[in-house]
Amino acid sequence: MIEQLKDIIVNYVEVKKEDIKPESRFIEDLGFTSFDFMSMLGEVEDELDVEIDQEEAANIRTVQEAADYLAKLV
Amino acid sequence: MNELRSTIYELLVKAEETYGTRDAIRYKVKDAGEGGRKETKIEAKTYTQLREDSEHFSAALAKLGEQGKHVAVVGATSYGWITAYYGIVNGGSVAVPLDANLPAEDLCELIDRADVTALVYDGTKVNVAQMAAERCSGLKHLIAMEEAGVSGVLSMWEMIAKAPAGTGYEPRPEDLATIMFTSGTTGKSKGVMLTHRNLAENATALDMGYEPGTVLMSVLPIHHAYCLSMDILKGTSVGAVICINDSLLRVARNIKLFEPNMILMVPLMVETLAKKLEEAAFIPAPLVKAKVFGKQFHTICSGGAYLNPAYIDLFKKYGITILQGYGMTECAPVISTNCNSASKAGSIGKCMPNCEVKIVDEEIWVKGTSVMQGYYKMPEETAQTLEDGWLKTGDLGYVDEDGFLFLTGRRKNLIITPNGENVSPEEIENKLGANRLVQEVLVRDREGVIEAEIFPDLEYAAKKRIKDVQAELQAIIDAYNKTAPLYKRVFSLKVRDVEFEKNTTKKIKRF
Repeated sequence: MIEQLKDIIVNYVEVKKEDIKPESRFIEDLGFTSFDFMSMLGEVEDELDVEIDQEEAANIRTVQEAADYLAKLV
Repeated sequence: MNELRSTIYELLVKAEETYGTRDAIRYKVKDAGEGGRKETKIEAKTYTQLREDSEHFSAALAKLGEQGKHVAVVGATSYGWITAYYGIVNGGSVAVPLDANLPAEDLCELIDRADVTALVYDGTKVNVAQMAAERCSGLKHLIAMEEAGVSGVLSMWEMIAKAPAGTGYEPRPEDLATIMFTSGTTGKSKGVMLTHRNLAENATALDMGYEPGTVLMSVLPIHHAYCLSMDILKGTSVGAVICINDSLLRVARNIKLFEPNMILMVPLMVETLAKKLEEAAFIPAPLVKAKVFGKQFHTICSGGAYLNPAYIDLFKKYGITILQGYGMTECAPVISTNCNSASKAGSIGKCMPNCEVKIVDEEIWVKGTSVMQGYYKMPEETAQTLEDGWLKTGDLGYVDEDGFLFLTGRRKNLIITPNGENVSPEEIENKLGANRLVQEVLVRDREGVIEAEIFPDLEYAAKKRIKDVQAELQAIIDAYNKTAPLYKRVFSLKVRDVEFEKNTTKKIKRF
């Protein structure tokens, strides 16, 4: 799941895949704005064919948290 | 087609008489398709269905003894929400739309403050209903938009199915229709009292040239006056098809699905879309436009905060018109707007035909049929804001020789320098913010010195190979300072590594 996420993340922010760590925070470390983050989750929904709850999405801070949350949905 | 309507009842009834079997609302539903995979389908409700459902709901509320009482609605934009709203106000009750993003405790406080006796809520707000049932002593009825399933809770659709059509009641223009809480960037939120006339005339006074059947996609939160008035009420009055965007995560996909002609946005959304367009700058403009928005898309209405005029030019290249407007909840809410027949770059448009504007001490004052009745149970705040029918907006601006309104800042944000000069931080923020490296900026007074706190666009910095962001930002400030009088110069720079905290309408919290 984390590998899949990394592939999507590099399309949104200028960061190398190998620099993305499970503990990287989307906004503080990877440079996402809240709107980029929302748009990315929209793409993840498409890729994985899941539905992400907007309110729960707001609590996600790190790549690991996102992977854990998505793993529950798949 | 556009005719002035003075009650929301008249607005809906005339729309239904004119557009009856046409689609009023479209929304997504998930159906189990072949092989268990869920399929997305679009469902629609016609103008006649909307009128009938809402009239049945009016009758059901009257039967409960809720006519003339205050009924709150909380939840995401849905056909149920819109039906509930029309049902409440057209049956002679007062609707209190609440911000679905607020914590349950805050919502309970607003329910108490607005003397709400019935709460209509959707499936995402069950926790709010439970807490309100325990804490809010004045609350008598809980009405679920989805399956009730719990004893003591009423089901809105069962109520609608069982009730007779209508109440025989016809609201008058001066009847209170809605109490709407301000989301202001400072202080305690205030309950703005708006009558049928305030809302209906604001939505119908100006002919924006919409054709019946224009497809709108509603993306803003529906409790927000701008969305409720311009998407829902104005959309209904002109026979538009209102498509409901179910999540901010899905704006791009929903544009492809609903193929809207226009969308109402706040500037932050415009900026995000601008980035998408710029990323594809090497592809011919018509192709990019077709891919991102669809060929049929032509207009964005922007309001709620300042929009950098550079974006208007950028979107023009793609054949998309951005119409910048200005308003506040206290004015139901539109005060001025650009429209296709009259627009000017950098301006927030001409004053609405049902209002007049005057400038007092640089502050914009508004009078007319959109101006609120006051703040609910806040006589002091009301007296500070209304004077002889004039609404003091707290915004600073001027009107040019052609009657176009321009904003320069907020009165309460004014910085008074040690030698008594007034500086509007927004004016400086807008100038610094015009540079792409500056993603967000807040200008304030710090111990007598003007300070700019900047959250840089690091992605942009990487693209442009800017190594020393701090130095580059300082260079932007130095360049600004050269053009500014001494008392408006920025002498302190603070660089942030996270974006600013915002309120639910995405405005930066100033204090």
